[in-house]
Amino acid sequence: MTMQRTSDALIAELVGELRPVRPLRLAEGIALALAAAAVSAAAVIGLFGMRADWLAGRVDPMGLVATGMFLGLALAGIVTVVIMSRPQVGSDHGGWRWAAGMAGLLPVAGALVALIRGRDAFSAEAMEHGIECLAVGSAASLLVFAMLVMWLRRGAPTSPERAGLVAGMAAGASGIFAFSLHCPIDDIIHIGLSHSAVVAAMALAGRVLVPRLVRW
Amino acid sequence: MKADETTLARLMTLSQQGDREAYAALLEACQRWLRGYYTRRIAPSHLDDLVQETLIALHTKRASWDAARPFLPWLAAIARYRWVDHLRRLYRADEHELHEELIGADDEPAVAARISLDRLLGFLPPAQERAIALVKIEGLSIAEASAATGQSESLVKVNIHRGLKKLAAIIEKE
Repeated sequence: MTMQRTSDALIAELVGELRPVRPLRLAEGIALALAAAAVSAAAVIGLFGMRADWLAGRVDPMGLVATGMFLGLALAGIVTVVIMSRPQVGSDHGGWRWAAGMAGLLPVAGALVALIRGRDAFSAEAMEHGIECLAVGSAASLLVFAMLVMWLRRGAPTSPERAGLVAGMAAGASGIFAFSLHCPIDDIIHIGLSHSAVVAAMALAGRVLVPRLVRW
Repeated sequence: MKADETTLARLMTLSQQGDREAYAALLEACQRWLRGYYTRRIAPSHLDDLVQETLIALHTKRASWDAARPFLPWLAAIARYRWVDHLRRLYRADEHELHEELIGADDEPAVAARISLDRLLGFLPPAQERAIALVKIEGLSIAEASAATGQSESLVKVNIHRGLKKLAAIIEKE
């Protein structure tokens, strides 16, 4: 009887607190994250400029394919995070793994080519470019990262760890996609190691930082 | 009120718009549904706490349901999340519960089987499922569970730890 009264009191309290809410819409979440990605890309182009060779119509397939793969990974991650924010038994949010597996070919290929080339692959200049891409790419991912974390906080992810990992991965991929519009280096070692490092670093940051922000 | 999918979804839609009467009916129906959902999957002395924690989670996360999607699988995901969290926080229950209450006849409707807790537990290896059931649900000590299963005490602990970790990762699995 006491328990029943406690439950009744709780229900009365919750009813008293009720305010209208706007349901989390899939399309709205995706649109907000894509808008953040577009703003980040525009900021990179505004600050650093678009690749001169692309503007002149000279497009190297390697750079184009890699940039497209990062964009695909960002899209897969963003959609997954928005799906994860709305819990449902039977909901499938494992599709991002396929995109991550495909994008994972870039660091594998970069590492293989670096092994074959040996020391020449790591000149001081190449290292400097690599660090620049890692730093600016990570900075360019922060807006998408913040947007996805905000969305997860509004929602109810049932696996905060995985949601954090995927949010970081998606943000990192969108950040390095944005900087790829400026970075003129089409070498697989640079793309495979430095550009992929942005995704890995942000995924790690997401896995470590996000769970405590979105746990409920 | 009957807690069927159509009725609950309609009440939830109204609740999201701020209709308090509908919300009171919804919470009342959800409370009953959750009691059935958790029965035999939590020590009876923890049932009320867990149901109330889940109602609070439903309240704070009510925007995460979309009228375009079914209601009960949403509620089940929230209930499973709270249940696993509860088990993880739960250390050995001091009191020994009446086991007959836990082993009673299963009256859960077959249609709900896919979103049930049994279904979720079924994804665990039998040794992990057994260790969790005995210690975290029925309230046995590690030593008692070890004697009942033939697993060493450290293996019981490892199985509980691994099992709960796995459950937390597959909350939405059907």
